[in-house]
Amino acid sequence: MSLAILDAREWQQTVDLRTGQPREASGPLADMVAGLVGRRPYPGDRDATCNDWVADVALEMVERYDPRFAFLSFSEQYYSLRHSPLTEAEEQARIDGAFAAVERFARESGFTVVVVGTGELVPAAVPVDLEGLDGLVVSSNWCAHYAGLYDASAADLEKLANHPAIAQVAAKADILTLFGGTAADGERLPEHMVAVKEGHYLKGTSLRRLYKIPQPSPVIPVSNNLGPVACLTDIRPALLNLLRTDKVALALVEGVGCRQFPLPYHTCANGRGWFAYEPGDGQFLAISKGRHSIFEHNGGYRYYQDDTDDKAYPYSGFFSEMPTGTIGEAIAARSIAVGNRSMFMHMLTGCDIACECFARNLYNQGVMAVIHRQDKYAGK
Amino acid sequence: MIRCDVCERRCPLGPDTTGYCRMYHAPRGQVEERFPDRWCAYATARMETIPFYHAWPGARCLVVGTTGCNFDCRYCANAEVVKVDPAGQQDVMLDVSPEDLVAVARKRGCRAIVFSVNEPTVSLPTLERVAAVAKTAGLVMGCLTNGYATPEGTARLGAIFDCVNVSLKGLSPQFCRNYLGVPDVGPILRNIQALARTTHVEVTTPVIEGVNSHELGEMVDFLAGVGPDVAWHAFRLLPEYKMRQEDYPSVAAVGAQVEAAARGKLNYVYFHNFIGSRWVNTLCPGCGEAVIERHSLGCGGDRLQAVHLDGTACPRCGAAVALRGDPDPATAKEACS
Repeated sequence: MSLAILDAREWQQTVDLRTGQPREASGPLADMVAGLVGRRPYPGDRDATCNDWVADVALEMVERYDPRFAFLSFSEQYYSLRHSPLTEAEEQARIDGAFAAVERFARESGFTVVVVGTGELVPAAVPVDLEGLDGLVVSSNWCAHYAGLYDASAADLEKLANHPAIAQVAAKADILTLFGGTAADGERLPEHMVAVKEGHYLKGTSLRRLYKIPQPSPVIPVSNNLGPVACLTDIRPALLNLLRTDKVALALVEGVGCRQFPLPYHTCANGRGWFAYEPGDGQFLAISKGRHSIFEHNGGYRYYQDDTDDKAYPYSGFFSEMPTGTIGEAIAARSIAVGNRSMFMHMLTGCDIACECFARNLYNQGVMAVIHRQDKYAGK
Repeated sequence: MIRCDVCERRCPLGPDTTGYCRMYHAPRGQVEERFPDRWCAYATARMETIPFYHAWPGARCLVVGTTGCNFDCRYCANAEVVKVDPAGQQDVMLDVSPEDLVAVARKRGCRAIVFSVNEPTVSLPTLERVAAVAKTAGLVMGCLTNGYATPEGTARLGAIFDCVNVSLKGLSPQFCRNYLGVPDVGPILRNIQALARTTHVEVTTPVIEGVNSHELGEMVDFLAGVGPDVAWHAFRLLPEYKMRQEDYPSVAAVGAQVEAAARGKLNYVYFHNFIGSRWVNTLCPGCGEAVIERHSLGCGGDRLQAVHLDGTACPRCGAAVALRGDPDPATAKEACS
């Protein structure tokens, strides 16, 4: 059973992650993690100290849990550039702050830190409204470029084919072919996936104004201490290889592409064909599992269909099952995940312990720590 | 110039004069919307997220909003949409007719359309048009409101909405002035009573420790007078906007105050707006059995977990549980599937 410790500042509740039912949890590991999250309240997604929170929590976990692998995300600059009107100098300061937090973690932990930029942000220039179609358009809050299309009429498809903002309309079969799937893999794929052009974004679900959006980057930077990797799915085997000799941390620095990456790097493919990952669950999972995950995690799935009374993992957002084959599962030694990406850290990394913000649509609710494995801890 | 008759600010309006909310003007001697059929966003959720705990439990709903507000709450959670000049937001607003909005709700299998981002009184004519189409389509209409409408505006809200969650934020004139930007709570109390006579009403109170927490007992007495079955949601304040740098209220302290204030006076009392709250289940007013269970994910994220009712009655003691609407979420089928 995976335990989730929910910390709402000076108040904690421990639940079974799968059912959400309260659980009494004690023991050296649960006590250690509960104490840690209680001491370190989350400052907020766009707070200037948000990435320092990641480094601080990760360093304390390194001290107390002694992991061999750490999966980290540094996302403050992604949230701030996306939703705050910043000057160029302010944007650069945010990005510099993220890399400073990564560098501090590396220096103080002694880990070999492999840094991946998840792709550059570009100005949100042109909102695109697809609500006038006969069919159903499904887009999500954190996916600017891709939408699912269901029950499209012939008129819809013709309209989209001539739409100046549309880069691609791909049928499910085309996506399956592109990523080598069979018909059975397409259950969570939309009937069509609509992609808009760079600088354009789908509006509909984002409450806040978007200032910057992800560029559909065909390549992303990977620090060259990992060696060359052809594709983001090759990061995982290279990390596992590096773990034979080093304690390793993978640091995903979100919203940063090759142009702003301050470290020596190689580029790797960030998708396949016309499809490039945006920073998000699909990209995290492709890196974690070492294989593309667009069939399960794409911007066009009708996520609300899973929102039922008996949905498992009620504190895990739109996830209703635990992904398998993640990198944490492949590591016999101790592993941790820390990040300011809600839900992703405990669902997508597979690490023994995950500590993450519990923020929803940038509202700061507190911190959630998930303990997947209690058997590796002997106390420290 | 005329006086706006929608909310109690009763702002002067003219062809080039807008009121406090900046959503109405009077180019032809009557109150008119400046931005009809314009929406800031919509998303699919369930009634518990609004929150509605006693209206159509578990029903899928289309959550919508416009922009603008007639209050100036120091802790506004949606200030980036609500506090900005609506005219400056129009480049990113969705232009969706009532017919198309209802069609979207039906395509997504929604049983309700709920207005919850900002204050519905700033977009009343648009909402009246949506309600007309929605009701023909068999959809429920719901909203959150600050309750500061005029009696005429309140009557229109009552006609539009099948369920309303009114925010009773504080009672003292000092609190109303300093934290809400309005002179007093009188219109809100009047409107809660009026709405409760015509539609389903739940009430939400964001509790700020040491600021309005001493008024909880008085609020409960008022609500008990409206009816002991009025569901009361005490919220732990999420400090946002002008209060962003302030401390989060203590869950333990506020929870104890809520319990003490409501004990024996209201049948349905909840304390939430923070992750993992244990005070989100509906307890039978007869025997205390948990008859509806929920999870609390904090701000706008509550989830239905299980309904244990026999119809609308407690399966253990048979006492009636106050509910509006069928609690069976399975009735929400996707129209397009």
